[in-house]
Amino acid sequence: MTAAWFARRCLLIVYTLLVVSLVVFGITQVLPADAAVTLLGENATPAALAAVRTQLGLNDPAWLQYLHWLGRLLRGDLGISMRTSQPVAETMFVALSRSLLLAILALVLMLIVAVPLGLAAALRRGRAADLVVGLISYLGVSLPEFVTATLLLLLLADWLGWLPATGYVPLTQDPLDCLRHLALPVLTVAVVLVAHVSRMVRSETIDVLHSDYIRAARLKGLPPHTVLLRHALRNALLPVVTIVALDVGYLLGGIIVVEEIFAIPGIGRQLIVAIQTRDLPAIQAGALIMAATYAIANFLADCVYAVLDRRIRYD
Amino acid sequence: MSPILEIVGYTLEYRTHGGTRRVLDDVALAIGAGEVLGLVGESGSGKSSLAWAITRHLPRNAREVAGSLRLDGADLRAMTAREIRSVRGRRIGMVFQDPASALNPTLTLGRQVTEVLELHRGLSPADARAAAIEALNHVGLHAPEALLARYPHEVSGGEKQRVVIAAAFASRPELIIFDEPTTALDVITGARILELFARLRAETKVAALYISHDLALVSRVADHVAVIHRGRIVEQDSGIDVFRAPREEYTQRLVAAVPRPERRLVDDAPRADILLAAEDIGVTYGRPRLFGRRQVAGNSGVSLQIHAGEILGVIGESGSGKSTLARALTGLVDFSGSVRDGTRRITKPKQMDRAYRDRVQIVFQHPDSSLNPRQRVHEILARPLRIARRQVSEIPRLLEQVRLPTAYASRYPHELSGGEKQRVAIARAFASRPALVICDEITAALDVSVQHAIMELLLELRRAQGTSYLFITHDLNLVRQIAHRLAVMRRGALVDLLPVEALSAHADPAALHPYTRELIAATPTPVG
Amino acid sequence: MIDLARRLLRTPQGLVGSALILLLAITCVLGPALAPLDPEAIDFLGRYAPPGSAHLLGADQLGRDVLSRLLVGARDTLPLALAATLLGTMSGALLGTLSAYLSGRWDEAIMRTIDAVMAVPGLLLALLVVATLGAGELNAALAIAIAFAPGMARITRSVALAARRMDYVNAAIARGEGGGWIVFREMLPNVAAPVVIETTIRVAFAVMLFATLSFLGLGAQPPASDWGLMIAEARPYLHQAPWVTIAPGAAIALTAIGFNLLGDGLRDAMNPRDER
Repeated sequence: MTAAWFARRCLLIVYTLLVVSLVVFGITQVLPADAAVTLLGENATPAALAAVRTQLGLNDPAWLQYLHWLGRLLRGDLGISMRTSQPVAETMFVALSRSLLLAILALVLMLIVAVPLGLAAALRRGRAADLVVGLISYLGVSLPEFVTATLLLLLLADWLGWLPATGYVPLTQDPLDCLRHLALPVLTVAVVLVAHVSRMVRSETIDVLHSDYIRAARLKGLPPHTVLLRHALRNALLPVVTIVALDVGYLLGGIIVVEEIFAIPGIGRQLIVAIQTRDLPAIQAGALIMAATYAIANFLADCVYAVLDRRIRYD
Repeated sequence: MSPILEIVGYTLEYRTHGGTRRVLDDVALAIGAGEVLGLVGESGSGKSSLAWAITRHLPRNAREVAGSLRLDGADLRAMTAREIRSVRGRRIGMVFQDPASALNPTLTLGRQVTEVLELHRGLSPADARAAAIEALNHVGLHAPEALLARYPHEVSGGEKQRVVIAAAFASRPELIIFDEPTTALDVITGARILELFARLRAETKVAALYISHDLALVSRVADHVAVIHRGRIVEQDSGIDVFRAPREEYTQRLVAAVPRPERRLVDDAPRADILLAAEDIGVTYGRPRLFGRRQVAGNSGVSLQIHAGEILGVIGESGSGKSTLARALTGLVDFSGSVRDGTRRITKPKQMDRAYRDRVQIVFQHPDSSLNPRQRVHEILARPLRIARRQVSEIPRLLEQVRLPTAYASRYPHELSGGEKQRVAIARAFASRPALVICDEITAALDVSVQHAIMELLLELRRAQGTSYLFITHDLNLVRQIAHRLAVMRRGALVDLLPVEALSAHADPAALHPYTRELIAATPTPVG
Repeated sequence: MIDLARRLLRTPQGLVGSALILLLAITCVLGPALAPLDPEAIDFLGRYAPPGSAHLLGADQLGRDVLSRLLVGARDTLPLALAATLLGTMSGALLGTLSAYLSGRWDEAIMRTIDAVMAVPGLLLALLVVATLGAGELNAALAIAIAFAPGMARITRSVALAARRMDYVNAAIARGEGGGWIVFREMLPNVAAPVVIETTIRVAFAVMLFATLSFLGLGAQPPASDWGLMIAEARPYLHQAPWVTIAPGAAIALTAIGFNLLGDGLRDAMNPRDER
């Protein structure tokens, strides 16, 4: 991993974040729909509309609006929420921390379950275990999060009563209770991720097991466990890093939905509330933070992958 | 003395959706200690399946119908999985075709050698390391200690193959199976590997099964040669006898198809007028990126002229730039310098107009990728005809010219064999009745008998239409049969440009570039 | 074509997938005719009725027949999801193929930008579009199309790049073919197959995404019987009448599974040479 490679990657992520900000800004403020009307509704008085337009700077040309917005952003000013009249930044970042806890728990759970599952399915390819895992993955990928969430809620909270249905308890207050409340959302999000990743691990492992170097290792007389652990595993798991990074995208989408259903006050919830109350600065801030998180996660994954795979010298 | 490997009456079948396919039929052969048996066959002959059968690495749908495989008397077929594991690597070693894919990309070269030593010779890690260094030294690798810590992608193809050979010989096996070990390597590198093998063989008295499609090479390497065709051993004899006096019809055809430089197939002389001239052609490769361009030199300053009616051979190893030259002359890459076509000077691909395109055509190496899989043969040929302002009704004639049945016009490429696809590609090139056809390694991916037929076809077309060829290949024997002049390329530069007679044994070797001399020495000429 | 259909039906995925999709198509077309009861008939006395003879799949919180609503709901859920996918795919595919053909700097610039746009996760992008344009099923469909386009562009580009490198494209260039011919007659037919497969699988995504948007109140609006909306409305009464949630949930799952299977079946059928 050379310095030039790293520098290029950093430039890339700056470019990415710039484009993301353009997309967010473009969609929310520059689309044909009149932002003022969207915010105040169709029946607002012309005077109120004009006031909002001036307040939001909607009378300036688009590029100027963008530059003003970007400038404020870089200074850390994410605007004032139209709903609460509080600075958006503070609310959003606190909410983000809660979502990150959810996300990290889901990712850890996913890795613990999906990787062994995928490996097992690959090793027992074509046999009963493989088909069962395949079926479950198919199902996992075919159910939207809100359906899974509702079903799990029904099963674990309603009928069995093992877990609380909704609500949030801060980690610092009571760790155990916090985990109990986060269990259902984490499980819901993890289902899709496990389905995805286990399928990928399975196909990667099958490819590796069919490769020439594994055949060469077997023909050297190495025992099966050595072939698997020393030769196959590393090659099969390397792509998992990339897959996990891509899944962070699904994760973020899932977070929005589960926070809504299970009433977790994370950044997804903030975003939905902002959309429902048409709080433009909050919408922009929430979207920006989520997208930036995804971009940074991918960037980190690239770096980890480059460290692990020595063949990545140049881009 | 009892043979190390003895195969008697061995028959193997594969069960597929389409039925049962007999891959090996009543195969019998024997190899004694210190002997080398060459197994020669074309693609689909079953030669690789025999290697898998011996090492007991058969696919799940394989059925061993009859016969026995014995390693120094021990019945391989009767062994349990554990016994087989102890035989593999320890008593039977294997060297594969492509060292790049036979080595694990995420393990160091050292690890892939020491693990064999630790496993089969019971050495401790420290002792294994020392033994590995010695083994690598022994196969001619420089700085073996540094090499232990390197990864496969950091060393060259020849070095990789030496590592694989070192690992195979390290446990002092009784039998080593070589499956086309030099096919993926350059001619010169391959020759060095064969020298290494000869030395090791003399030292260790190991029995060897050398599998290859190259009869010329095998006749030089092996004591005995067995020719295999569609699963049956057709002929078995000493290498020299198989070549000089083949008894069976198939063997005779195979021997006749092997290119022999002293057997000229072209006996006329080119005309004096110049058809096309390359003037100081240079090509740089580099992926254009948003931030600067990384330059890799493809070709530098190549100049040559092609006369009317001439066959100009271009020979070189991989990376020599011969294909790049072809791409420049057909406008597939940007180039510096110019191409002179008659009185016109062309400096950019865009300047190559209809007249040029009609005169200069190209046939590519890989039949699988040179025909559009979604187009029928009819479409593939109709378009060039229409562009050259000829009639679509000429398609049957074109197919006849390349000796394909006219019914093939309605077929898709995947319904044709490799040789048939190349014929279609040739027909396509000849649609505009070109003056020059550039052949870019067109037979490299084909079996030797198919290659022979394609070469005959090319020469016949030349006789009928007076076409010139720029014949690019890595096979020196092949090109010496047909070319009037030879251009030798190395690392993007033109190193030698000589009449073909300058390469014959009678000519003065001092007139040749040292690299050319090296190439000639490394090319296996058939024995006899 | 017929050849393709035959190959498709020979694989188990293709067979089951086709059957499911056929079932869905029939439901879409004949839905209202097949419904046993009026899907909008409110019956306060029959609220929360469990599955039984009167209501095969039970009744919801307003006494409406779940089965009837489900059958009619196919019309609200499927066609728009399909349209959204097609729109997103076509625009993405065009962009991707163009980028691959241009190669060099243009290709890299376009791709880096698309990567950056893809940094905004699908649901998020769709949410933003709907948040701005306003809730509604047409806007949701448009949002999905916009969210899908970059992904399809990426996939099309990599397939097109592989096709671009093939010697038959080089042969076309060597005989002086223009860009138009090369893109449309040489590359596109070879790009089409993987794109069709990917599109089929994306329809499954679109259905789920559409249902999610409706669930969040941003897609179809009441009193439509969109399946996502049905689940959203049933949420407060989950404990009393779980069947109101399970039935549409199963319907969504079956639809997604059907399209996934069909896509897998097509993948096997379109590569006749892979007789593994």
